Amino acid sequence: MTIQLTDLHVEFDQGFQLKHINWQVEKQQHWLITGANGAGKSALAAVLAGYGDIQSGSTGGLPSPIGWVSFEAQAELIDAELKKDDADITDVISLGTPVREIIFTSEIDAAIAQDLITKFELDYLLNRAFRKLSTGESRKVMIIRALSCKAELLILDEPFDGLDSSTHAMLQTHLSGLAQHTPIVMVLNRFDEIPDFVSHVAYMENGELRHQVERNDEAAYAELYQLLHLKTTQLQIPPADTDTDIPALNPQQPLVKLTNICVKYTDMVLINNLDWTIEANQHWQLSGPNGSGKTAILSLITGDHPQCYTNDIFVFGFQRGNGESIWQIKQFIGYVSTALQWEYRVGTSLRNVIISGFYDSIGLYSKSTDRQKQIADQWLTLLGMQDRADYPFNKLSYGDQRLLLIARAMVKHPPLLILDEPCLGLDDINRQLVLALIEKICEANETSVIYVNHHAQDRIAGIDNYLALEKSADNS
Amino acid sequence: MSNNYFNTLPLREQLEQLAKCRFMHMNEFTEGVDALKGKKMVIIGCGAQGLNQGLNLRDSGLDVSYTLRQAAIDEKRQSYKNAADNGFTVGTYEELIPTADIVLNLTPDKQHTPVVTAVMPLMKQGACLSYSHGFNIVEEGMQIREDLTVIMVAPKCPGSEVRAEYVRGFGVPTLIAVHEDNDPQGHGLALAKAYAVGTGGHKAGVLMSSFIAEVKSDLMGEQTILCGMLQTGSLLCFDKMIDKGMDAGYASKLIQFGWETITEALKYGGVTNMLDRLSNPAKIKAFDLSEELKVIMRPLYNKHQDDIINGTFSSTMMADWANDDVNLLGWRAETGETAFEKTPAGDMEISEQEYFDHGILMVAMVKAGVELAFETMTAAGIIADSAYYESLHETPLIANTIARKKLYEMNATISDTAEYGCYLYNHACLPLLGDFMKNIDTDVIGRGLSSDDNGVDNARLIEINAALRSHPVEAIGATLRGHMADMKKIV
Ligand SMILES: NC(=O)c1ccc[n+]([C@@H]2O[C@H](COP(=O)([O-])OP(=O)(O)OC[C@H]3O[C@@H](n4cnc5c(N)ncnc54)[C@H](OP(=O)(O)O)[C@@H]3O)[C@@H](O)[C@H]2O)c1
Repeated sequence: MTIQLTDLHVEFDQGFQLKHINWQVEKQQHWLITGANGAGKSALAAVLAGYGDIQSGSTGGLPSPIGWVSFEAQAELIDAELKKDDADITDVISLGTPVREIIFTSEIDAAIAQDLITKFELDYLLNRAFRKLSTGESRKVMIIRALSCKAELLILDEPFDGLDSSTHAMLQTHLSGLAQHTPIVMVLNRFDEIPDFVSHVAYMENGELRHQVERNDEAAYAELYQLLHLKTTQLQIPPADTDTDIPALNPQQPLVKLTNICVKYTDMVLINNLDWTIEANQHWQLSGPNGSGKTAILSLITGDHPQCYTNDIFVFGFQRGNGESIWQIKQFIGYVSTALQWEYRVGTSLRNVIISGFYDSIGLYSKSTDRQKQIADQWLTLLGMQDRADYPFNKLSYGDQRLLLIARAMVKHPPLLILDEPCLGLDDINRQLVLALIEKICEANETSVIYVNHHAQDRIAGIDNYLALEKSADNS
Repeated sequence: MSNNYFNTLPLREQLEQLAKCRFMHMNEFTEGVDALKGKKMVIIGCGAQGLNQGLNLRDSGLDVSYTLRQAAIDEKRQSYKNAADNGFTVGTYEELIPTADIVLNLTPDKQHTPVVTAVMPLMKQGACLSYSHGFNIVEEGMQIREDLTVIMVAPKCPGSEVRAEYVRGFGVPTLIAVHEDNDPQGHGLALAKAYAVGTGGHKAGVLMSSFIAEVKSDLMGEQTILCGMLQTGSLLCFDKMIDKGMDAGYASKLIQFGWETITEALKYGGVTNMLDRLSNPAKIKAFDLSEELKVIMRPLYNKHQDDIINGTFSSTMMADWANDDVNLLGWRAETGETAFEKTPAGDMEISEQEYFDHGILMVAMVKAGVELAFETMTAAGIIADSAYYESLHETPLIANTIARKKLYEMNATISDTAEYGCYLYNHACLPLLGDFMKNIDTDVIGRGLSSDDNGVDNARLIEINAALRSHPVEAIGATLRGHMADMKKIV
């Protein structure tokens, strides 16, 4: 029997919604539903258990009985017990329902339940009132009920929460056995707890089912892992290196002031009469079609364009062309672009790629300090790549390279971060990874961001200044 | 008529100059570009070296402009576009030379005498004239006004690399020298050091050398292993494969990209590493072939070095200059007509390892050429550091040019002097290897060893591994590559 959710919109209490859900769970599959907090993981699981107000779309093939472990189910059970108390208010003292009665109901396979009671070492609790149990104990009772109810489908929402490690291991083993004949849908916040039998992963975001990945598609699975990691861990952007401090800037001055910019070649004019001022703490989006000069403008700022010497350019306290070196300019800028990624074809380690951001170099040519290594390792942890610190950069997937280059750009906490089409050439999941990282950076809010893309309408949250370039007419 | 400067020196001084070579420590460059700050640098010529050195110097905060011959400005030639499109001031000799504190002569070597003769009277009292190759001073005996300082800053790479490495935050190994006859203020070294910093060279290693050591080693390297051996090797290997009935597109591709692939291994771990990329039986084969090649070719390497040292080479070439480059142009056309040059590379896949496995003879040729050039140079009194840069170090860089557009590209990228020497070498080497090539079959070039060739004598293998590792070019190479910090990680 296949469970089929089609174009489903479901509403829950407090206005939470699931939207555009299209999902199919086959009999022999075991799914993990994952996503950040509030993404709708538990809601999706609850839909399988028949909860939520369906607004549109359809569900089909929902099996019964269902064994359901979740906070909601646990709260419901406890609630029901408390209500019984209220009802018995006239009696002297209610002892409440003993655990034995809660577990051994008519729907239950008593032998399995007894086996689990032994495994969970709960025998001593059987005569105690259910409502007297601790949360951990009542959770175990719930699990026993769910696993011994001859379910056609098991929905286990964070079943390992609060279990000690030996119980956790015992439960994992038990579930592997059950998975032989019963489909299981699990909700877990963390990938590292994922049992071996899980064959598919569903990733939720903002009430939508964004990704469905087969476990044995290793590349996709790894990316999903990373995305979840970035979305769920409360990691901070690692600190700057106090030994390689960037000189302080005069806060009264703009970061960048371009005046009457012209970029021309002997046979064409690319940019004519452009003015642009970027104040500290402003985030900008720069857009325009190919050939409108986006990259040229950026490279005037970074000092990579030779005509930065023939234009009126003020950057980071330097009026260009007065004896400053490009390294004095570059120290204030973090830069990521597809072109950089092409140029960065080096076999150096991931750690060194990040450290090279301190030196604005492609490859690493200076001895790095222990402190820099530490910071690089913190970045790798943030990216979920801590196990690959010594892995060669050029063997990394395209999307991972991009993430690493963003970390390289940010490692020194530059006053200006330039992201030149940072999502170009990336698939959906890598785009989300990159955007998640940029969001984290924008949150920190000590760096001004210039975000470049083709389309003026592709806006990013947190950016409120816009410069749209047109293709210049070649007439002057 | 020019007068060979080297030949005017007494032997004692010749030897002393040839042996001048000191690897400079990073902390000798702590003053950065200070010695050139605020000074006006005017570059003559905006070609491969001129443009790229100028871009680096300007990005290091120095004041750079270009002077070109009038015709180049009037006709808006490529050299004019190079300078103008990059936002540099361009002017005539009369406009710019008198304002210059330092004049960088980056025109082709064969133009140096007329160029220097033209600009010298315009130069400020006490200014500095700089070269990136010492040919004019050493081989032509150019006499420079007494008040002028004369220095050399010679990047050991094609101009494109000079720029690319700088942009990465690195640099290319560089030789610097002061012409002792022209250092009236005693600040030649300070200027040369600052110039090397301005191009990024100090990050990759700077050798304090002499005009003479630079010229005699540079000429030797480029004629023999760098360009000559690769050209001769390309032609012989290609013709052999065709002779044996192999697909021409495959043969063309194997050679065009093979040099680049196999010499890439040199960058990381020298000749040893290049041979380590082969299977054991193939390694033994390559080693034996290279020993044979070294015996056959040694007299040729000696002859090139002798002709370079005693000035025969330069006077022969200068005679061709005086004769409107008839020889050079004829040989260039001839090269364009060779079967290898005219056969486009096929579009088959060749894996990195296959270039090694099917190119055993090419590996042997590179090994023989590198070792012979190094041995011959050091025997002539050139110090190992210099000899390393002029042989092994530059081989992969030249090989890259062949990968781009075959011999045409190589000969277009290198200087006319190198090209001339390359043809001389090629003409002598082709017949020299005639008999050797008769015994060559596709097992060592084109198809690789067959599987029944895989017996290996352990003792022999150990002997070969030891021989490879103990060659003097390997010891100095390991040291100099170590100096280049993480250079080994750069591709
Ligand atoms: N190529 C290398 O790998 C390399 C490496 C190290 C050192 N060097 C040295 O660097 C120097 C320059 O070599 P290069 O390879 O850069 O040369 P190049 O690419 O041929 O450039 C020569 C430049 O000089 C100009 N020029 C030619 N004849 C001239 C004349 N009579 N008067 C004034 N300008 C003239 C040319 O411009 P117009 O013709 O448009 O006037 C061109 O811009 C040489 O001393 C060379 O030995 C070269």
